[in-house]
Amino acid sequence: MRILKDIPELVKADVITPETADKIRNYYQSKGSASPNQLYIVFAIIGSILVGLGIILMMAHNWDELSRITKTFFAFLPLLLGQILCGYTLIKKQASTTWRESGSVFLFFAVGASIALVGQIYHIPGGTGTFLLTWMLLCLPLVYLMPSSGTSLLYLACLTYYVTHLDFGSSSNSYWYWLLLFGILPHYYQLYRKKPTSNFMIFHNWLIPLSIAIALVTVAKETEELLFIAYCSLFGFFILVGNLDFFAQQKLKNNSYKLIGTLGTMLLLFVLSFNGFWQNVSEELLSNNQIFTAPEWYAAVLITLFAGGLLFFRRRSKALITLPQLEPVFTFFIIIFIIGLFAPIAAGLVNLLILVIGILTMREGAAKSHLGVLNLGLLIITTLILCRFFDTDLSFVIRGLLFVLVGAGFFGANYWLLKKRKTNEQ
Amino acid sequence: MSSKKFIIATFILVALVQLYVPAKMILDQKKILKIGTEFKFKTAPVDPHDPFRGKYITLNYAENEIKVPEKENWITGEPVYVSLAIGKDGFAKIKSVAKEKPGNNVPFVKAKVRYVTDNGSNQLTIDYPFDRFYLEESKAYDAELIYQQLQQDTTQITYALVSINNGNAVIKDVLIRDKSIREVVKANQEKKK
Repeated sequence: MRILKDIPELVKADVITPETADKIRNYYQSKGSASPNQLYIVFAIIGSILVGLGIILMMAHNWDELSRITKTFFAFLPLLLGQILCGYTLIKKQASTTWRESGSVFLFFAVGASIALVGQIYHIPGGTGTFLLTWMLLCLPLVYLMPSSGTSLLYLACLTYYVTHLDFGSSSNSYWYWLLLFGILPHYYQLYRKKPTSNFMIFHNWLIPLSIAIALVTVAKETEELLFIAYCSLFGFFILVGNLDFFAQQKLKNNSYKLIGTLGTMLLLFVLSFNGFWQNVSEELLSNNQIFTAPEWYAAVLITLFAGGLLFFRRRSKALITLPQLEPVFTFFIIIFIIGLFAPIAAGLVNLLILVIGILTMREGAAKSHLGVLNLGLLIITTLILCRFFDTDLSFVIRGLLFVLVGAGFFGANYWLLKKRKTNEQ
Repeated sequence: MSSKKFIIATFILVALVQLYVPAKMILDQKKILKIGTEFKFKTAPVDPHDPFRGKYITLNYAENEIKVPEKENWITGEPVYVSLAIGKDGFAKIKSVAKEKPGNNVPFVKAKVRYVTDNGSNQLTIDYPFDRFYLEESKAYDAELIYQQLQQDTTQITYALVSINNGNAVIKDVLIRDKSIREVVKANQEKKK
């Protein structure tokens, strides 16, 4: 490490005292001893994943030369090996994260390989969905018994894969997904309490909101229009979570909730800024007398209540002015949605909402003298105008003028901010 | 009991369940194979694959439609009980469909509603659960090709031999001209060499 090499020179030049030099050396020594251990864990997990997947692939070949009994024996072999490995870890190596993680990840795949192979040998009916569900149910306990965060991540990934295999609109449903997702939350909480800054925690922070955002669509049955409310509230909820102190103190790239929430909200608003969706939403929803028993309705209400509750608590602790402007967007959206059921102005209102968000973002960028935020605001407005470019009946001249104006705005705003910075520096 | 002992005891329990589930899958299938009634279902295979379980052929069955009195009663994906009989040609025929389990003296299989036509004919199409037949990686594609060639020749009949017991079904084999599809593919592959 470069700083360690420079220490003698710094001591010689009287920049630091010998005591400070020792302190620095001790600090890096204690830090250094932790890092190779982490590397072992990563290698062990990746190694187990590769071996596990390799076993599944080799078995999937379906060897015709082998008899049924031989094939069945090979189906159980990795499972038994994995169980012995995990049992040994629990008895002798419980303190070692490397053993715990690699053992349970291997067993995770071994369970999958064995039920896949049995299914293949005996032509057991059932699609990928049923197979994944059985697999996940059998492996959830490992997350807690071992305990293993790597298994938890694989479990989440497979669970998300499972939910994408459900048939849309048929009587099959995603209740199992939600149940199994709840199954992993205690582990997530443990992770938050014990290792809030670990990589495992960061990966969970990404995987959980992504998985929920993907799975929510499977709630759709007859009144899928209501899902837009559910999604907007969900993204609003993510933004609110991302703005909690725990996440706000982290680097933006690790604040998955805020990033997913913001991106999702903006995407949703842009999609709904087109008139197409609003044209038949009122006849679809108002003619349907089963709205209040539809799963989409429950999802929308439940998520909005969660988001609303969190918004209420945050507003109590902070003044409205200091709230980042995307936090309350979902409440405005619900109002617009209700207006949209009765009057054909909802698309216009969504456009207005995006414009206000764009302007407020620009204002924030200007106030903080932050070029990135300023240009994000301009980008929002430009995207809005680009969207309108494709669907309105505005004349070419007016559209042309709009583009010139926004383009000039880009130059002007950036120039103004740079100039302001310069005068500040002077 | 100390917490470590408790964890290990629970782990052993989980491990036993992990072993029990695939073992139970095998035993269930074996039981059906042993005591079930055999049916021949005319098929139409194609060759997809599953990332975990390898190559298989999807089996679409010729005998999968029946006229029902009312369209509204049937929801896509809903489970139905299909009572079966053996037709004059020796292949399985649908006798009736019902939402309730039929009596034990009638052979039946648990399936799902695919859809009901709404052009007034009220034809209900059934999704049988035994729609996959796993084959060795190198044989699945050839199996599909052979099937396509045979389709032009109506005298060549492909069918699945299915064992049925108390609503559950297991595929024993897929046969072309009364020969196992595995053998047909193997013979074909050797001929090519």
